[in-house]
Amino acid sequence: MHLKYESQLREPLVYGSKTYHDVTEDIVRPIEAKPSKLWYIGFYIAVALLLFGIYAIYRDVTYGIGQWNLNKTIGWGWDITNFVWWVGIGHAGTLISAILLLFRQGWRTGVNRAAEAMTIFAVMCAGQFPIWHMGRVWMAFFVLPYANTRGPLWVNFNSPLLWDVFAISTYFTVSLLFWYSGLLPDFGTVRDRAKTKLRKHLYGIASFGWTGSTKHWQRHESLSLVLAGLSTPLVLSVHTIVSFDFATSVVPGWHTTIFPPYFVAGAIFSGFAMVQSLMVIVRKVFGLQDYVTMGHIEAMNKVIVLTGSIVGVAYLTELFMGWYSQNKYEGYTFWYSRANLFSPYGWSYWGMMACNVLSPQIFWFRKMRRNLFVTFFMSVIVNVGMWFERFVIIVTSLYRDYLPSSWATYYSPTIWEIGFYLGTFGLFFTCFFLFAKYFPTIAIAEIKYVLKTTGESYKEKMGHLENVDASVFAHSGHGHTLVENSGSV
Amino acid sequence: MSDKKYWQSFGELNNSEAYQQAAKDEFREDLPLEADNGFLEAKAPRRDFLKYLGFSTAAAALAASCETPVRKAIPFANKPEDIVPGIANWYATTYVQDGDVVSVIAKVRDGRPIKIEGNELSAVTKGGTSARVQASVLDLYDTNRLRFPTIDGKEVTFEAIDKSIGESLSGAVVILTSSIVSPSTKEIINQFIAKHPGSSHVVYDAVSYSGILLANQASYGKKIIPSYRFDNAKVIVSLGADFLGTWLSPVEFSKQYAAGKKIDEKKPVMSKHMHFESVLSLTGSNADEKYLHKPSETGAVALALLSAINGQAINVGDNKLKAGIEKAAKELSSHKGESLVVCGSNDVNVQVVVNAINEALQSNGKTIDWSTPYTNYQGIDADFAKLVDDMNAGKVGALLISGANPVYTWYDADNFKKGLAKVKTVVSFNSKNDETTQLSKYVIPDHHYLESWGDAEAKAGYISFIQPTINPLFKTRHWQDSLLKWSGITTDYATYIKNYWSGKVGGETGWNKILQEGVINTLNNTITSSSYSGTALTGAMAAILSAKKGGKIELQLYQKVSIGAGQQATNPWLQELPDPITRATWDNYVIVSPAMAKTLLDIDLNNNGQADSYEVNPPKKVVKVTVNGKSVSLPALIIPGTQPDTIAIAVGYGRTDKLGKAVEGVGQNAFPFANLTNGTVNFVNADVTVEKTNDTYKIAVTQTHGGYDTKQGKRTEVMKELTLAHFKEEPNEIIDDREKELAPYGGIENFEKNGTIYPYFDKPGIKWGMSVDLNTCTGCAACVVACHAENNVPVVGKPEVLRFHDMHWLRIDRYYSGDMENPNVVFQPLMCQHCDNAPCENVCPVAATNHSSEGLNQMTYNRCIGTRYCANNCPYKVRRFNWADYTGADSFPDNQKGIISDVTLMMNDELTRMVLNPDVTVRSRGVIEKCSFCVQRLQEGKLKAKKESRPLKSGANNEWDVKTACQQACPTDAIVFGNANDKHSAITIERVENKQRTFYSLEQLHVLPNVNYLAKVRNVEEAKEEKKEA
Repeated sequence: MHLKYESQLREPLVYGSKTYHDVTEDIVRPIEAKPSKLWYIGFYIAVALLLFGIYAIYRDVTYGIGQWNLNKTIGWGWDITNFVWWVGIGHAGTLISAILLLFRQGWRTGVNRAAEAMTIFAVMCAGQFPIWHMGRVWMAFFVLPYANTRGPLWVNFNSPLLWDVFAISTYFTVSLLFWYSGLLPDFGTVRDRAKTKLRKHLYGIASFGWTGSTKHWQRHESLSLVLAGLSTPLVLSVHTIVSFDFATSVVPGWHTTIFPPYFVAGAIFSGFAMVQSLMVIVRKVFGLQDYVTMGHIEAMNKVIVLTGSIVGVAYLTELFMGWYSQNKYEGYTFWYSRANLFSPYGWSYWGMMACNVLSPQIFWFRKMRRNLFVTFFMSVIVNVGMWFERFVIIVTSLYRDYLPSSWATYYSPTIWEIGFYLGTFGLFFTCFFLFAKYFPTIAIAEIKYVLKTTGESYKEKMGHLENVDASVFAHSGHGHTLVENSGSV
Repeated sequence: MSDKKYWQSFGELNNSEAYQQAAKDEFREDLPLEADNGFLEAKAPRRDFLKYLGFSTAAAALAASCETPVRKAIPFANKPEDIVPGIANWYATTYVQDGDVVSVIAKVRDGRPIKIEGNELSAVTKGGTSARVQASVLDLYDTNRLRFPTIDGKEVTFEAIDKSIGESLSGAVVILTSSIVSPSTKEIINQFIAKHPGSSHVVYDAVSYSGILLANQASYGKKIIPSYRFDNAKVIVSLGADFLGTWLSPVEFSKQYAAGKKIDEKKPVMSKHMHFESVLSLTGSNADEKYLHKPSETGAVALALLSAINGQAINVGDNKLKAGIEKAAKELSSHKGESLVVCGSNDVNVQVVVNAINEALQSNGKTIDWSTPYTNYQGIDADFAKLVDDMNAGKVGALLISGANPVYTWYDADNFKKGLAKVKTVVSFNSKNDETTQLSKYVIPDHHYLESWGDAEAKAGYISFIQPTINPLFKTRHWQDSLLKWSGITTDYATYIKNYWSGKVGGETGWNKILQEGVINTLNNTITSSSYSGTALTGAMAAILSAKKGGKIELQLYQKVSIGAGQQATNPWLQELPDPITRATWDNYVIVSPAMAKTLLDIDLNNNGQADSYEVNPPKKVVKVTVNGKSVSLPALIIPGTQPDTIAIAVGYGRTDKLGKAVEGVGQNAFPFANLTNGTVNFVNADVTVEKTNDTYKIAVTQTHGGYDTKQGKRTEVMKELTLAHFKEEPNEIIDDREKELAPYGGIENFEKNGTIYPYFDKPGIKWGMSVDLNTCTGCAACVVACHAENNVPVVGKPEVLRFHDMHWLRIDRYYSGDMENPNVVFQPLMCQHCDNAPCENVCPVAATNHSSEGLNQMTYNRCIGTRYCANNCPYKVRRFNWADYTGADSFPDNQKGIISDVTLMMNDELTRMVLNPDVTVRSRGVIEKCSFCVQRLQEGKLKAKKESRPLKSGANNEWDVKTACQQACPTDAIVFGNANDKHSAITIERVENKQRTFYSLEQLHVLPNVNYLAKVRNVEEAKEEKKEA
C-alpha cells in the first residue's frame, strides 16, 4: 500500500482515533445487529409504496395507458418526467466512483458505496418508466435487436429511444459491476466475522471467495481502474442520450442543441442532491458521522452550487435563444408557455427556477454548506426543482406546439400516474433499506486505504512533518521512515 | 376364407351379457383401482388417490382447454351468384331524413351495408354527401332500434296488431307525417284517406319552412319553395339562412356555392357572399363579409335592404350593420339578375319582404327557379297547431304517426301530449322508440332506409329511388304496408312501388335500370319564373315595423350540422363529430359572445390568463336561461362572431334515455323555447333572462384555441388567407413568402435537396398526394364522418373526449382571425400529411411506422409497442393513440366496463360491429393509429388497374380508380387526391393550376408533406393590412 502525505490544511476524511479494526466494527455493526424499529417502519412504508406502485402498473397494463391523463397532444407526461428524473439521480454514484477515482479525490471513499447503490436503484426505478409507459408492454422485447423470424424486421437505429435502450442497459450493467467489485473485499470482511452459519455461507457466496491475497488486491485494483475508465464516458453519455430523446425531435422547446451538456449538469446536480438527502440520514441513523464528515457534505454542496449554476446558465441561454432566433414557435414556448408565470404551466417553470437556480446560491456561504439542516432541506428542494425541470421540458413543450388547433387541455396526473411514481419510491427505498441492512454502507477497504493519510488522529501525528524540510522529506523515501518513526499503527 | 371366429377372451367367445355391456362403454375397463370396497378401504389408497387425481386433473384440463370460441361465420352452402366474399356490391338508394334527401350508393360487403357514398348520377346532389348522410349507415345497426311490434309495450305479431287496429280505426283518422317526398307514398295515403272517409293527412316538420311557403303563396300564389341557384348568383346575400349547413338542401347548395368559389388563377373571379346573422353559423363562417344583428331584427334588416336596393335612405342604429346593408344593396343592385337573397327566418312577413327584394333584383327566373320546386318541406305550422287543438277537443279518433316526433320537437309539447292522451288509437310507425312513440299505444317498427323500398322526389322532376341493401334485421315493416293493409289492398309496398314505377319507366327493364342508377333526372333544365304580386308587401312591412321590439337579451335556436333537429341524435358518430364552429362534441350549450362573457361570466378573453384558463379547463360555467317561466341550465361557450346581446342554443339534444346510450345525459331540449308567432313557429325568442349560476359543467371540445396569431408572431406557415383584391394585386405573394422563408436552402425548388444533410432519393412510380382547397372547403365535416366509417375509427365517448382522447383521423381545424367580436373564420381539414421526411418515422424504436415507396407514411399496428414518441414528434398532431380498448380487439378481452364510456362498449356490440369495414384492421389497445390515405382503397384501385393491364387512373378526364373516403364524401370537391407523378392526374393539374395559392402547412420544418393546401381567398375589396404579414 502506497502512502501519500496530505496537507494539514485539508480536513481529515475520517474523524476520531480509529484503528483498522474500529473502522470494520463501525461499519459492519448494522449488518450484525438487529435492525432498529425505525428501520422496520421505514422498510414497511417502502414496501407498501412498492405494492401500491405494482397495483398502479397492473391497472395500466390491464386497462390501458388511458389510466393516465396523457392525451393526443401530450403523449408523455409524468412517465417520462419521472424517467429522466430518476436517470438523473442515477448519475452521482458513477460520477463519484469513477471520475473522482480517476481524479484521485480521496473524499469519495466515504460516500461512494451508498452513492453507487443509489445509482443502481435509481436506474432500476428509471427503467420502469420507459417499459411500463408502452401501450403494449408485452411486446417490449421488440426493442431488442435479436435474431427473429419476422423477416427483415429489425429495430430502428435512428430512434433515440433505441439509443436509450442501449445507453441505459450499458450504464446499469457497468455500474452494477463496478459497485459489486468494490463490495467483494467488504463482503469478505463480513464473512470472516460471521458468527452464524447462514451468514457465513451467504456472504461467502457473495464475496466470490475473496481471500485478500495480494493477487486479489492487485486484480481488484486493476479491475476498478478499468471499470472506472469504462464508466467515465458513460456518465456523460447516458444523459446525453436521454437528452437526445428531446433534442433530435422537431418539437419547439425540445429541438435544442444545448441539451446534452445541460442535461448532464442537471443530472449530476440532482444526483448529488439525492446523495445528500440519503447520507445525511444514513450517517445519523448508523452513527457514521466520523466517516461521512462535514467535509464530505461540504464538498458535495460545492458540486451542487456549481452544477446548479450551470443549469441556470442553460436556462438563460434557452430563453435568450428563444428571443434571439426570432423563431415564433420557440419564442412562444420559451417566453409564453414557460417564462410567463401566468400561463397555464408558468408555475412549473418558476418553481424550477426558484428551486434549481436561485436557492442553491445559498451554498456560496461556507456556513450554509456546513449546515446539516440547510443541506438536507436544499437537497430535497433541488430534487423537486429537477423534477419540475423535466416536467417543464416535456409538458410545456408538448401542450402547445406548432398548430394552435392542437393545443391541449390542462394536464394533471391521475392517481395511478402518481401511484406509479410513488411505487418507484417504494422500489428505491425497499432496495435502499435492504442495502443499508445487509451491505456495508461505506466501503470499508477504501476507508482503510485513506485512513492513515487522512484520518484525524494520523494527521495529527503527522503534524510535525509540516516542519520537515522538503529535501529531507524527499530523501527519506517519501516519508516512509518518518511516518513510521512517528510511531503509528 | 374361413369363418373361424377369433376371440380375445372368454367373455367375447361366449358373448356374455357382461361383455356386451362392457363393449358399449367408452372405457372398456375400469380404472385399475385397487379399491374394491370404496376408496378408503383400498389396499393402497395412496396409489388410487394419485390415479384419481391424475385422471381428474387431466380430464379437467382437457375439458377446460378444449372449449373453443363459437364462431358464427358460416360459409355459404350454395353461394349466391352476386356475392363474392371480399368484393363489395353497390346499391343505389336514397337517404331520406326529415327534409334531407340525398341520392346515395350503399357499399355492401358480405351482405351488410357498411358505407354510404353520394350518387354521382344525381343531378341534384352530384355525388355530394353530408355528415348525417355518411353517418346514417350506423343507424341501421343501432342496438336500440325497435325490434318488434308492440301494443301497450307488449310484443305482438303483425297479424295481431293489424287485427287490433283494424277494429279500432274509427272516427276521424289523422295521418301525421313529416314532409312526404315519396310520390308512391302520397298515393297510398290518398287511397287510405279515400277508404276512411273523414280522415286527413297533416304534415309536420320539426324545423318548418312555413314562412317561405306562406310568403310564396302571398307573393306568387304558390305554396311551394322554388329552387335556388347559387351557382348562377354572383352576389349572394343570406339573412341568417345556413344554406351550407342545415337550410333547405345544404348538400346541393354546397356544390353550387363551391362553383362560385373556385378560383381560376388566370382570371381570379369569385362570387361574393355577404351574410347577416346573429350567431356564427357554418355558412356565416364561409361568407366573404359577415354582419351581426339581433335575431329579432331580421325583418328590419330585410326591410332596410329592400329600401337600400330601391335607393332609399335607411335607418339602422348600428353603423357597421348599416354600412353592411348599404354595401350589400350596392353589390346586389349592380348584379341584377345574377344575385340571390335568401333568408332563414320562418316569419311570413320577412319572407314576403325577401321575395320583394328578389323581385327588385330580378332574381325570379334567373337564380330562383320555379320549374323544379322543393317538396322536402311542406309542413304548415298552423295546420299542426289546429290538429293539436282538434286532438284536445276530442275530434281525432285515431292518429297514425310516421316521421314526426311532436312530443319532442313541438314547442308546446305538453299540450300535444294532453291531446294525444285523448286520442283513442295512436299508432306510431318508427324505427326508434322516440318520445312520441313511447306515448303511442300501437308501435309498428319501420325499416331503416337501407332495408326499405321507396322513392323520393324532393325536387320536382328529380326522382331518387330507395332499394333494400339488406334483409330487415328485425321484425319491422314498411309503414306503407300497414296503410295498404288497412286500406284493404293486398299488395305489399315492394310490389306496389314496382308496379307504380314500372308503368312510368317502361316496364321491368326500365325499373331495373332506375334501380341500378338510383335516379331519374328531369330533362327539362330551363329556369322558369313565376308571376309576382306585391300586394302582400305593404302589410308585411307594416307588420314588421309594428312588431314588438326585443328585450335586452335574445335567444336564437339553431340546428347543428351534426345533429340537426335531433332525428339522428342516437348516432355516436354524429355525437362525437366536433361541431364545425364550436368544436364541441356530445352536448348542446349556450353560445355567448365574448362581450357577454365579460359581463355575465366575468371571463375576459382579452386577458391572457383568463382566456387560457377558459380554454384549457373543460368545466364551463353554467348559465340559466329563462323564458316565460320555462328555464334550462346549460354551460356557456364563448364564440366570437356572436351578436353581443344574443345567446344561442342548439336544438336536437336532451332526447329520451330510451333511445340508447348515445343520448343518455346529452344536452337539453331547447325546442320549448320556440314559440308560435303569426301562425308560424318562431325559433327566436326575443326576450330572455340569463343568469350565471355557481355550477360548472364539462364540455368536451376537441380544439381549445382558435387563433393562429401569437404574440411571438402570426403562424402564417400554418395557415394562409388573403383577400381577392390582394390576390389580384400581388398574385405571387404566397410564392414569394415561401421563397423567402426557404431562401437559405435554395428556395422552393431546391428546398427538398438542400434542406437536409441526408442524400436525396428519387421517387419513381406512384407518389400519392392530396390537395385541399381551403376556399371551397366549407367545413361541413362530411369527410370526418366518412373517414370514421371507412376506417373503423372508434367512438370514444364524452368522458374520453373530455380527456382529449378523441380518435379522429381527420379533423377540421377552425381558426379565427381579425376582430374578436366578428372574426373571419377559416377551416383547415387536417389528416396525416404523409411527410416524405416524416419526423414520426425516425423516432420509432421498432420501426412500426415507415415510408412506402409510394410516399405513404404507413402504420404497422402489429409492430407498434406504443411509446407515443411518434405522436409527440408529429408537428401536425394527427397521430392517435388507443388509450383503452376502444374496439374490443384487445388481448385482455372484455375488461373495459367502467373504464371507458358505455357508448364505446355499445359500439362493440355484435350488432353494431356489423358496420365495420372488413378491409381495415380494428386497432387494439396500446397502438398508435392515423390516416392511411385509405390505403385499402389504393390497393383495390391498383389491383383493378393491374388486372386490366393499364396505368392507374387518378382523375385524368374525371376517371378514377381511387378516391379517398374524405375526397369522395366532400360535397364541394375541395379535396383532390391522386398520383402526383402522373402528369395528367387531377392532383397534378390541381397543383399546377393553383401554384399561386399552394402552400404546405409548416413547410419550413422540411418534413416534406404530401398534402398541400390552397390558400383561402375572401372576396373583399380592401386589401386589409392584417393580411400582409412581413
